[in-house]
Amino acid sequence: MFDIQLPAFLEPVINTFRYAPLVIQLAMIFIVIAAVGTLLAYFSILRNRYLGNRRDKRLAKLLPKIDNLIIDEVLTHPEAETVPADQVVLNLDAFQELPLDKKWARSALTERIIHFRRNVRGNMGLLLRSLYMQLELDKDAMKKMKSGHWEKKVQALTEFTNMDMSVADVTILPLTNSRNRELRAAARHAYIKLSKNEPFKFFDVVTEPLLMWDQVELLRIISTTEDIAIPNFARWVTYSSNKSVVSFCLKLIVHYNQLPAVPAVIKLLDTKDHYLRADAINCLGKLQVPDVEDKLVSIYSTQPLHCQIEILKAIGRISSGRHIDFLKLEFLHSTDFDLRKSAAKSLVKNDWIAKQVIEELMATATPENLRILKHCMNPLIKY
Amino acid sequence: MLKSFFEGGVFIYGGTMLFMYALLAYLSYRGIKLFRRKSSYTNYDQLLESPLTPGISVIAPAFNEGVTIIMNVRSLLTLNYTRFEVIIVNDGSTDDTLEKLINEFELVEVDFAYNERITTRPVRRIFKSTNTAYDKLMVIDKVNGKSKADASNAGINAASFNYFLCTDVDCIIEKDTLLRMIKPFMDEEHKKTKEVGEPCPECGYVHMIEDSRRVIATGATLRVANSCEVDEGIILRVRPPEKLLPRFQEMEYIRAYVLGKMGWSGINCVPNVSGGLGLFDKEVAIKAGGYDQTSFAEDMDIVTRMCAYMIDNKQKYAIRYIPTTQCWTEGPPNMKIFGRQRTRWGRGLSEIITIHRKFLFNPRYRKLGLVVLPYNLFFEFLAPIIEFIGICYYIYLIATEQVSWQYAIILLGFVYLYSVMITTLAICWDQLTYRYYKTWREVIGLALMAFLEPLIYHPLIVFFALKGYWFFLTGKKTTWGNMQRQGFSKKKVNA
Amino acid sequence: MFIHIVYGTNAATMSKILLIEDDEIMPKIVARILPSSEYELDHVSNGKEAFEKLESTQYGYDLIITDIMMPYANGFEILSKVKSQPRPIPVIIVSNAGNEDMVMEGFKLGADDFLKKPIIPAELMIRVKRLLMKNK
Repeated sequence: MFDIQLPAFLEPVINTFRYAPLVIQLAMIFIVIAAVGTLLAYFSILRNRYLGNRRDKRLAKLLPKIDNLIIDEVLTHPEAETVPADQVVLNLDAFQELPLDKKWARSALTERIIHFRRNVRGNMGLLLRSLYMQLELDKDAMKKMKSGHWEKKVQALTEFTNMDMSVADVTILPLTNSRNRELRAAARHAYIKLSKNEPFKFFDVVTEPLLMWDQVELLRIISTTEDIAIPNFARWVTYSSNKSVVSFCLKLIVHYNQLPAVPAVIKLLDTKDHYLRADAINCLGKLQVPDVEDKLVSIYSTQPLHCQIEILKAIGRISSGRHIDFLKLEFLHSTDFDLRKSAAKSLVKNDWIAKQVIEELMATATPENLRILKHCMNPLIKY
Repeated sequence: MLKSFFEGGVFIYGGTMLFMYALLAYLSYRGIKLFRRKSSYTNYDQLLESPLTPGISVIAPAFNEGVTIIMNVRSLLTLNYTRFEVIIVNDGSTDDTLEKLINEFELVEVDFAYNERITTRPVRRIFKSTNTAYDKLMVIDKVNGKSKADASNAGINAASFNYFLCTDVDCIIEKDTLLRMIKPFMDEEHKKTKEVGEPCPECGYVHMIEDSRRVIATGATLRVANSCEVDEGIILRVRPPEKLLPRFQEMEYIRAYVLGKMGWSGINCVPNVSGGLGLFDKEVAIKAGGYDQTSFAEDMDIVTRMCAYMIDNKQKYAIRYIPTTQCWTEGPPNMKIFGRQRTRWGRGLSEIITIHRKFLFNPRYRKLGLVVLPYNLFFEFLAPIIEFIGICYYIYLIATEQVSWQYAIILLGFVYLYSVMITTLAICWDQLTYRYYKTWREVIGLALMAFLEPLIYHPLIVFFALKGYWFFLTGKKTTWGNMQRQGFSKKKVNA
Repeated sequence: MFIHIVYGTNAATMSKILLIEDDEIMPKIVARILPSSEYELDHVSNGKEAFEKLESTQYGYDLIITDIMMPYANGFEILSKVKSQPRPIPVIIVSNAGNEDMVMEGFKLGADDFLKKPIIPAELMIRVKRLLMKNK
C-alpha cells in the first residue's frame, strides 16, 4: 500500500496509527493539523509585521517628500490664489522624483492630497484636485471600479467623491442596485455628489431604510457639494412611502431652513406613524413656525408620550409666549417626570414673557417641581 | 458499561468544545476581515461635524481613586467626540476623590432634576463646573452602595443622552473609542421595508413596517495596561506585560475578545459586554432594570436581561463587537488579587446560570435560550467541573493500572497542541486588526506563552473557578453582606 | 548701529503666533499661509505641550490658533485658561468639529473667531491680520 519510502523514525508512528482505535487516529491527525496551523499562524504574524513595517518605513521616507512637493509646487505656487485653478500650470516634473511607477507610492500621494484637501478648500483645494488629475492618479481608482471586490469599488467611489471627480452616470447607476449594502450606499452617495442630472433621484426609488450612518454621510455630502441645486424636500415628505426618507428629509428641511416646506410637514402631523409624527413636530419646532402652536396644543392630549415631549419642546423653541398657561398646566399636573421637565424647560425658554409665571411657580411648587424648575433655569446645565 | 458511557460522554463533550473553538476562530476571522474592509474607506471623523451624531453619556464610577482621578477625568474629557458628557459617580469615597474633583474642575453643587428610574442608594449632591471648558463634566456624589452596579445605575439615571458608555475610571480609553463604538448602532443592516395590508380606501395610506434590528450594546477588545507606557491617561506605547501573571491575562483577553466575542458577534450571540467598556442603548437598559447591585457578574447579567427584554417585547436586537482594542485596564498583578477576581467570576457565572435558568433551553428565547446560555452552561460553567472530574478519573485509572500510556500521551498531546493553535490564531487575528506592540519579538514572546498556559495558567483558572462555585453553594445563605463588599474591593489594584 | 536698530524694530513688530494642532499637515499649511518673514510661528501638537509653552513664555504670544479636539487638554480648556489671563490673547479656533453647539461654546468662552476646516487660506490670513491689528 505505502509505496512512498518513509523515514525510519516514522515507522512506529505509522504502526501505532494503523492499529489504534478511531479516537486515537483522529487525535493523531489533529496533532498534525494543530502543529501546522500553529506554524502557519506564526508565519503569518511575522509576515504581516514584516510587510507592515516595510510599508511604514517606506512611507516615513516618502511622506515628507510628498508634503514638501505639495507645499512647494502647489500651495506656494505664485498663482495659487489669484488665477483660477484650471488655468494654473503646475510643475509636474518635480513630482517625477517620487517613485510614481509604484502603486503604493501613487496611493500614498492620493491619500495625502485628500488629507490636504480636508484642511484647505477654495482655489487651493481645486489646485490640489488638478494635481491629482494631471498626475493621472485617478487611473488607479478607475481600475478599482472594475475590480471584483466590493470594498475596492467602495474605496474608488469614496476617492472620487472626495476628489470631486465627475464620473459617468452609467458607471455609478448599476452599482446603486448592488446586492452589497455598503456598495449600494457608497454608489448613491457618489451619485448625489457627482451626477449632474437629478442628484436626488434615488430618494424616489429607494425602498430600503436609510441607516443613521447613511444619513450622516448623505447630509455631509449634500451640504459640502457646492454647485448642487437644493430641491424642496417637501416633495418626499408628502409622497415618499419610505419612512426613513421622510424622516431624513425633515432633517434636511431643518438644515436648510426650508419654510416653504412647512405645509407639507404640517400635513404629516396626521400620519398614523407616531415616530414620524414626532419627527414632524420636532421639525416644526426647529423651524420656529408660530402658526402651528395651536394645532400642536389641540392634538396634545391624544398623543403618545414621546410626541407629547416633542410638542412641549416645540412650544419652547417657537417661544411665541402664547401658550404659557398650557405649559404651566402641564408642568403642574402631569404625572410624568419627563413631561414636567420638558414643560419647565419650555417655560424657561419663554421667560421673556413668562417671568411672572415662573416666579409664581417657584414660590408654590412642590419640592420636586421646584428642583425641576431650578434645573431648567441653571445655565450650567445644558440638557 | 458505565465506563464506556462515561468515556463516550467525555469524548462527545470534548469534541464539541474543540469544534466550537474552531467555529469561533472561523467566525471571528470573517468578522475581522469584514471590519478591515469597511475601515479601508470609513471616515469616522464625519461624525464630529454632523448635527445628526447621537449623543453619548460616559459613565465612570469612582471609589477612592484620589491618586489618579484628575488625570483619568481629563483623559475622558478629551475623547474625540462632540456630543457627549462625562458622568463621574463618586460612590461614597472615603478619601479626597471628591474634593480633588471640586477644586480642579471648579465644580459647584447644582439643583439637578434627578429622575430615579432605577432605584439606587441615595444620591447626595450633583455638581457641574462653572467653567464652560468643562461643561461636559457632571459629578454625582452618592452614598456608597458597595457595588459598581449601584454607582453605574445612578449614572444612568442622570444621563441625558440615549446611549451610555459604561467604564471604570481607572481604565485607559483610546481617544477614538466613541466614534468607533457608536458606528455599529448606526449601520446595523435592516431588511427591506414591507407594506402591510391593503391601502386605506379613503386616504390611500399604506401601512409600512420596517423589519429592523436594534443594536442594544456594543463592546470592544480590552487589553492589560500593566507594562504599557502611559502618560496622564494616554497610552504612549503598547507593550505586553512583563510579569508572568498579567502576561497570561493579556493573552487570555486577546483570545476571549478577538476570537471569542468577535466570533459570537458574527452570529449575533454575544453573551456578555465587558464591564470595563461597553456602549449601551439607555432605554433598553433602563427597561431591563439596569445593573443588579447584588450580582457578581453584573455585566453579563444586564446583557442577558436586555436580550430577554427585547425578546419578550418581540423586537429584533443585536449586540456587536469591534475587534480593535479601545480600552486598557490594569490586570491583577499578584496571585492574591487575581485569585479573588477569578473566584468572583466563577461565582458570578454560577449566579447567571441559576438566576436565568428559565431562559435556558427555552425555545421562546431563541439564540439566548438555545445558544448563548447553553454554551455558557456547558463550556464555561461546567468545563472546570468536568475537567476536575476527568483528572480524578485519570488518576483512578492510573492507580488501577488501566491506562494505555501511549494513547494517553497522544490524546494529551492533541489537546495541548490544539489549545496552543487556538491561542496563536487569536494573536494572529489580533495582529490583523492592528499591529499592536512595537517589535516582532514582543508579539512572538507573547504567543509563546500559549505553550506554558495549559501547564501553569489554566490549572489556576480551574482552581479559582471551582472555589467560586463552592462559595456560591455554601456562602449564599451565610455571608450576604460580606460577599457584596468583596465585589468592589477588587477595583483598586494599582494603588 | 543703524542696522541694529532697524533689525530691532522689525523683530518687535513680528507677530508671535502659537499654533496648537494635532494634525500633521495643518501646521505646514499654516506656515505657508503666514510667511515667516512677517510672523513668528510656534507649533505644538497637544494640550499639554501648549500649556507648557504658554507657561514658559509667560503667555507671550500675540495670537493663538487652536484646534478643539486634542490629547491631554482640549481647545476649550486652553481658551478658558488664556482668556483668564490679565492680558487675554486673541484666539482663533480652527476645527473640523463644526456643529453649532461647538461654535457657540467657543464664542461663549471668548474665542475671537471660528474657522471650520477645510479653510480658505486667504480667509485665515485676513482674520489673523484683522485680529492682530485690533489688538495692536
